[in-house]
Amino acid sequence: MIKELSRTRLLWDSLILALILVSCVMVPYQFAFNQGSALSGFQVIYLIDLFFIVDIYLNCCTTFRRHGVEVSDRPSCTKRYARRMMAVDVLGSLPLDLVAWVLIGNGQFLGGSLVLALRLLRLLRIVRLFVILKRWEAFSWSNPGTLKVVKFLVSILLLMHWLACIWFFSAFASGFPANSWATRAGISDSGAIAQYIRSIYWTITTMTTVGYGDITPARSAEYVLSAIIMLMGASLYAFIIGSIASLLGSIQAAKNSHWERIDSVTEFLRQRQVPAEIDAKVRNYYEYVWEHDRGMNKNEMLNDLPAPLRLEILLHLASNILETVPLFKNCSPTLRDEMLISLESRTFTPGSNIAGEGEIGRSVYFIVEGNVEIISTETEKSWGTLGEGDYFGFLSMVLGERRTATTRAVGFCDLLILDRENFNRIKAEFPEFSDVLKRASAERTEQISELVLEGIIL
Amino acid sequence: MEISVTESGEVRILSFQGNLDTNTSPEAENAINRLIDAGAQKLLVNFESLDYISSAGLRILLATAKKLKASQGDLKICCLNETVQEVFDISGFATILSVSQTEEEALGAY
Repeated sequence: MIKELSRTRLLWDSLILALILVSCVMVPYQFAFNQGSALSGFQVIYLIDLFFIVDIYLNCCTTFRRHGVEVSDRPSCTKRYARRMMAVDVLGSLPLDLVAWVLIGNGQFLGGSLVLALRLLRLLRIVRLFVILKRWEAFSWSNPGTLKVVKFLVSILLLMHWLACIWFFSAFASGFPANSWATRAGISDSGAIAQYIRSIYWTITTMTTVGYGDITPARSAEYVLSAIIMLMGASLYAFIIGSIASLLGSIQAAKNSHWERIDSVTEFLRQRQVPAEIDAKVRNYYEYVWEHDRGMNKNEMLNDLPAPLRLEILLHLASNILETVPLFKNCSPTLRDEMLISLESRTFTPGSNIAGEGEIGRSVYFIVEGNVEIISTETEKSWGTLGEGDYFGFLSMVLGERRTATTRAVGFCDLLILDRENFNRIKAEFPEFSDVLKRASAERTEQISELVLEGIIL
Repeated sequence: MEISVTESGEVRILSFQGNLDTNTSPEAENAINRLIDAGAQKLLVNFESLDYISSAGLRILLATAKKLKASQGDLKICCLNETVQEVFDISGFATILSVSQTEEEALGAY
């Protein structure tokens, strides 16, 4: 079985995607412009068919997700594929044109070759293109906005190509009468490339509502076709302008909304005549939040997720402190998870006070990223710096005393905070917690005792 | 806070009663220093009747332990109640200060 989101499937899908595009361009082109040689390019067409037949088999062996669970038993995968897409894929891959050619030779259909008309069934492959793009949306590397743009552009270009083919075929099918657009444009006897260029030129000028008027309809069928294409073009034009604007916007939606937020905050600060220095600090903070978290409020985002998923993310985000902080190293996985889920993540700007002198300790702080300086507020004397993996705040919280020094962020600091309520709850629920605390503290007694001897309680 | 001093061989045993906090720690510090100045090298602090210890109390114990260690002496602590034991455990001082469950156990360890 092939996993739906595996690398193998991704590579195969990329190949199929390219072949779909080749088919969707080549088959209608051949039908409209290359009627003279019904079987020209058949080797390529049938070689591509082979790939699509293999693809049908592989689709039966590809897993899928049902209610978020990957289903990987073969019968279920085949049944699901058979119920949904198999009929279209089979119809789009069967060489019915070859069968018709063997059985009845090169018959006529709508004034064109029956063999080539049957080849048009391969255009059904376009459905698979959307299936593949939808699958790619599940990959973390894919940007939904970019995929939408790709889907949109491919659809527009293919539609224009097909309409150009239909437009030329309208003249060809009736045998290039004198009043047909192709004869009046003097391309009825030109080469296929020149004919195609004029057809696609007309389609684009009509669809984009430019309409130079150098190629015009003269027969009823051409008027009807032109009217349909003009209607499609006008609505498409409005759709394109609107969609491209919103698609380009959606690609950078996160960035735009972040900068909009900064602008409104700056506007507020200016209106309240807050000093420019503070304004600069605020902007600096938002820039850091963008660089570091892509503007995302981590706590809000995490609280939005179900607990097990939140835990998985936290385990990754806090991986450095889980490996280095003695408290977490000595924990059982259950206790570690409970602690992690109870932690609140907070970012401190350079020079801001994390826990102030004179306040009663209510939380323990774990440094995930950055440095924290211990300072006596009055004298500005520094008692040392704590770095990644260090933690502080236990002593004043457990003793219920006021802190005798301030902790200050040196640069931007990312901290995880465990408040007293959660600390007491975990202590009550997990008897091993006291033992873990004892062992963890034992590893940093020297640092604590030096500070205590100096009268520093954090 | 009440402090009583008894002897057991070379060991001077200080029993504290009440709270060892910012207000009472100078008194405790004086009592300990007087013993050290009188030549005592082995001190045992019995916390059986101690209700609460603050950071000031912890600081005295650390300072005493440091001072005695420098002069080849020894400070031991025994009979911590649950609250005081927790403070010792969480601060990690239970590992650097020699803590025993009972007075006999502490005396036997000198």
